[in-house]
Amino acid sequence: MTAVARRIGSSVVTLFAVSVFSFALLELAPGDFFTELRMDTRVSTQAVDALREQYGLTQSPAVRYWLWLQSFVAGDLGFSLAHRAPVSSVIWERAGNTLLLTVPAMLLTWTLALPLGVWIARRKNQWVDRVSSGVTSTLVALPDLLVAMLLLLLALRTGLFPTGGMYTPGAEDLGTGARIRDLISHAFLPLCALVATALPALVRHVRASVIEAAQAPAVLAARGHGISHSRITLRYVLPLAANPLVSLAGLSIATLLSASLLIEVVMSWPGLGPLVVEALLAKDVHLVLSASMLASALLVAGNLAADLTLYVVDPRIRA
Amino acid sequence: MNRPRAIVSVLVGLHLLVLLAGFAAPYDPVEQARAFPYAPPTPLRFVDADGRFHVRPFVYGVMPDPDNFDGYVEDTTRRFPVQLMVTGAAYTLLPGIQSRIHLFGVDSPGRTSLLGTDGFGRDVLSRLLHGGRVSIGAGLVATSCALLVGVTFGTLAGFFGGRIDAALMRAADLFMAIPWLYLLFAVRAALPLHLDTRATFLLLVAVVGVVGWARPARLVRGIVLSARERTYVTAAKSFGATSPYLLRRHVLPQALGVVLTQAGLLVPQYILAEVTLSFLGLGVGEPTPSWGAMLGSLQQYSVLTSYWWMFTPAVALVAVAVAYHALTSMVHERMRLVTG
Amino acid sequence: MNRFIGSALVVLLSALTVSAAVPAAITPGEEVLVEKATSGNHGGRLVVALRAEPRTLNPAIAADAPSREVIGRMIADLIHIDRATQATEGALATEWKRSSDGREYTLKLRKGIRFSDGRPFDADDVVFTFQVLLDERTGSPNRDLLIVGGQPVRVTKVDEYTVRLTMAQPYAAAERLFDSIAILPRHLLVEAYTKGAISNMWAVSTPAAAVAGLGPYRLKEYVAGQRLVLERNPYYWKTDSAKRRLPYLDELVFLFTGNEDAQVIRFQSGDSDVLSRASADNFGVLVRDQAAGRYQLKDLGPSLEYNFLFFNQNDLTGKNLPQVAVKQQWFSDLGFRRAVSRAIDREGIARLVYRGRAVPLWGNVSPGNRLWINTSLPRQPRNVSEARAILKASGFSWRPDGALIDRQGRPVTFTIVTSSTSAQRTEMATLIQADLKELGMGVQVVPLEFRALVDRVFQTFDYDASVLGLGGGDADPNGEMNVWMSSGSNHLWRLGQKAPATAWEDEIDRLMQKQLITLDYRERKRLYDRVQTIVAEQLPMIFLAAPHILVGARADLGNFQPSVLDHYTLWNVERMFLRPESRSVRR
Repeated sequence: MTAVARRIGSSVVTLFAVSVFSFALLELAPGDFFTELRMDTRVSTQAVDALREQYGLTQSPAVRYWLWLQSFVAGDLGFSLAHRAPVSSVIWERAGNTLLLTVPAMLLTWTLALPLGVWIARRKNQWVDRVSSGVTSTLVALPDLLVAMLLLLLALRTGLFPTGGMYTPGAEDLGTGARIRDLISHAFLPLCALVATALPALVRHVRASVIEAAQAPAVLAARGHGISHSRITLRYVLPLAANPLVSLAGLSIATLLSASLLIEVVMSWPGLGPLVVEALLAKDVHLVLSASMLASALLVAGNLAADLTLYVVDPRIRA
Repeated sequence: MNRPRAIVSVLVGLHLLVLLAGFAAPYDPVEQARAFPYAPPTPLRFVDADGRFHVRPFVYGVMPDPDNFDGYVEDTTRRFPVQLMVTGAAYTLLPGIQSRIHLFGVDSPGRTSLLGTDGFGRDVLSRLLHGGRVSIGAGLVATSCALLVGVTFGTLAGFFGGRIDAALMRAADLFMAIPWLYLLFAVRAALPLHLDTRATFLLLVAVVGVVGWARPARLVRGIVLSARERTYVTAAKSFGATSPYLLRRHVLPQALGVVLTQAGLLVPQYILAEVTLSFLGLGVGEPTPSWGAMLGSLQQYSVLTSYWWMFTPAVALVAVAVAYHALTSMVHERMRLVTG
Repeated sequence: MNRFIGSALVVLLSALTVSAAVPAAITPGEEVLVEKATSGNHGGRLVVALRAEPRTLNPAIAADAPSREVIGRMIADLIHIDRATQATEGALATEWKRSSDGREYTLKLRKGIRFSDGRPFDADDVVFTFQVLLDERTGSPNRDLLIVGGQPVRVTKVDEYTVRLTMAQPYAAAERLFDSIAILPRHLLVEAYTKGAISNMWAVSTPAAAVAGLGPYRLKEYVAGQRLVLERNPYYWKTDSAKRRLPYLDELVFLFTGNEDAQVIRFQSGDSDVLSRASADNFGVLVRDQAAGRYQLKDLGPSLEYNFLFFNQNDLTGKNLPQVAVKQQWFSDLGFRRAVSRAIDREGIARLVYRGRAVPLWGNVSPGNRLWINTSLPRQPRNVSEARAILKASGFSWRPDGALIDRQGRPVTFTIVTSSTSAQRTEMATLIQADLKELGMGVQVVPLEFRALVDRVFQTFDYDASVLGLGGGDADPNGEMNVWMSSGSNHLWRLGQKAPATAWEDEIDRLMQKQLITLDYRERKRLYDRVQTIVAEQLPMIFLAAPHILVGARADLGNFQPSVLDHYTLWNVERMFLRPESRSVRR
């Protein structure tokens, strides 16, 4: 258990390092939040400089980092210059909406990828395998944004799905059941887009690992004993294949999260995506920092969980 | 012909075509035919308007429709037979070799855009072939960088474990979590504008590739971690096998599947990364063609809905992705047979 | 639960929410403004998709377009510019008088009207508003406009419904200054202001009751990331010709989308009812799709926006930029700039970048600005051989391979930086690149992230040339002071001048100063015509094109009268209504 505690401790250190590095990179990038006011013909240079002064952007980087850190630890998560409000007041609700997409997407992707990968692996080099490799290559080669746009186009042309947002305007007057149906119909396309971006890589990894594991001596021996195919898969192949897949599961949180940001922007999903993309381009430093801290926390937690699972699943590692 | 040979010949053909783009492309990829924005693909014909058959394929002249920005009418009174080895715009075939000979073309003022034109009236086929040079090159460079660094660190972490493992894996977490967009902003600001665009691009692709080491490293590390504890590895160790020997003979082959699968996935992903890079002013920049930039324009709603031929860079990228995937799985199979 | 009771409850609840804001009866002594020849029906809601989420509801600090789009419906100004006629009209001020020396304005305020929270409006609110805007701690983008002749405008209360504004010098078209300056409710904000916290007031998540204005709508609800709902201001001070209080529409819903394409798709699918400023590309898609007849599209002709190419002529002393400094020898050569201007295919830009929905420009004033354009400027079409002749006369020559070289034999190569978020400007630069190649110039286009671009153009001066766009605000030349004055903060090609660097910049300075204090329109027009002539001759900016304003709305929207001035579609939202025959069909 001390190992686990140590591991968690080092994760916190990692998060701290992430914040320092992120802040340093933000510092290196040109311009600040008020830079865009320079293009406004109504505003003089002096006025922009006065704003910088007023909001403390002229202080030294170390002081500004410290101010953010204080505010972050205190729970305000910093101060958003764009919204002129504490970051915590704009971020939590949207983070919830993002999880509303990414968590089901993650579950869906894995429940699809595992059986699909095993099934395809058993038909190695048959037409099923070839078709699946074509389909996964296509999905890998299409930008996430394009996939999302194509799905939107589908919605527009067929009229079967809403073309964006989380609820139909006016749905707030409906009953709970109708609202949930409305929500599901709005979430369907973004979910499809997310699964489409994450699934192909997973299916390929599952297939490759299962093929690899099927060659292991224990499996071959089991097959020699005439044990049924599905039993072999469950008892021997999958546990052997589990190792890279567990690592991958930890990583897929990061993949889904970053894909989700883009897809949310295209599909007008009220999650972190539109907020963070705006903040990135506007250089709203505290908002960007705190949002990347949230994302990193999820990522680090994912990897931590993966490592712990590896530890449990693969007893040899414990040595 | 058997499967491996087919895969290899398709890949070689694809790369030759792209490498010799100047020769295979009928036009200069940056030449703007401003009277023909978004002209649809010119159909190759054998039968003319009067129903006569011609052995040599030909195209009809095309006239812009004055009332319609992207409308065109075919002028069936003028026939332009397609000719092989025509003289056209000058290009550099390979470094040091200048040429004006193109594989095919039609006499002026006829035009043949087999894959249509883009918004500036530039020939999409020519841009696709020329763009492939930059994009495939970039994809391969970035993938090799990411895998090289990733496999090295992943192996070190998994094999030696302990502090090295902890340090490397926390670093991997860090690398995956930092918003790299800002690194690119910063790099762009630090570089002079006057740098050769291709040099800028390759540099940044290398950066993207190196930054991408964390994911393969984590995957490899997990496998190495368990491989080194397998009975036969421990047995070999007790017989006094050295670490390099163990790694080469017993541990790394286990990671092969994962590495090759990653390679097949990363090549198209890094070609796509240029869409983002272009947005930040880090792509190859206009007017030099690249698949990333072409896909970027495809993502505009108006282009997506109106001009189907602008999908061709996506099709090309899918072809490359399929080919590389086939190659990596083939190599995987071969290697496994060899190493047993 | 019984299904009948359930549905009855839903009906009851929705009835309650809709009936929340019934127009208040007109009180005796209330000076309402009766809009002539205006009729329509009350009820219904209008949905508008915004390109991004508004950042604030605070009129004093809002600078981003989505915020101003929303706030513009919640506020009123003293004197307003009618978007249809481009002339001024009384708003919260019923009449105003200018003193004979042109330095003093006396404004009579509308009596007996109320803020959207029911509290009365009077001179104290006006005085308070100007106090807030002029306070440096507020950080208002409007502040600089209110400093005339180096002195802030002084606003004093004469009586409960009269205010006096005093300026240090006469100020032409001073009444245009008041347009879009929101009068703030003193009773809600004075406490925050005295604490110095005014700029943090009225974040979008502020409770509806804490926000009030004098516009046709007031805040009803904000849902993070999704929408912002405005409801009718029951006390709004305008009525239709039948003396029924405006606005007609019960609610205005702003949906948040992530980008322009999403905005267009939501309009096309019928999720949103109004589309402001579509790009020419997307407009083309909508025109093709219009057959269904569900929406109306309008091309309003040229906007006031002007796009231009300019070269870096900044003073680089103290900056370590030897590469740019060498090129400045060309950039500061008028012959070089004239040759570039002659070689640019402006018609091609209008046709390829804007699909013909733009006009080529040879001066800084767009034909959309009917009052101020100098129509006598020469409009020279593209002529490459003439451009080459000009270059030759300026001492440039050509190498055997066709590359242009200067007197010292250096090849002429430079980069054009553009904003990567503006596809149109990058496209213009790409066309220019090909045009200039015919002169033997080696040009590279480098699209940069917007902040990086602004940083180079305004801060580091590390660039050669750039394509940018300005304008789109007011039609009056006073809005352009910062661009043309040599000391101005938007004097892009050479920033931060203490004294005019050239004789012609000196002349422009004097002309602009003079027009600022000249009160007669015709005299001002003569002065500004001269500015346009000088600029077209000296070419510090090479003007390219002014895009058309392209808008759309659902077919059954009444009183939809879009304008080329901001805000293009919703400026008269209080008069818009839904034709009844269709309302029952939709929703």
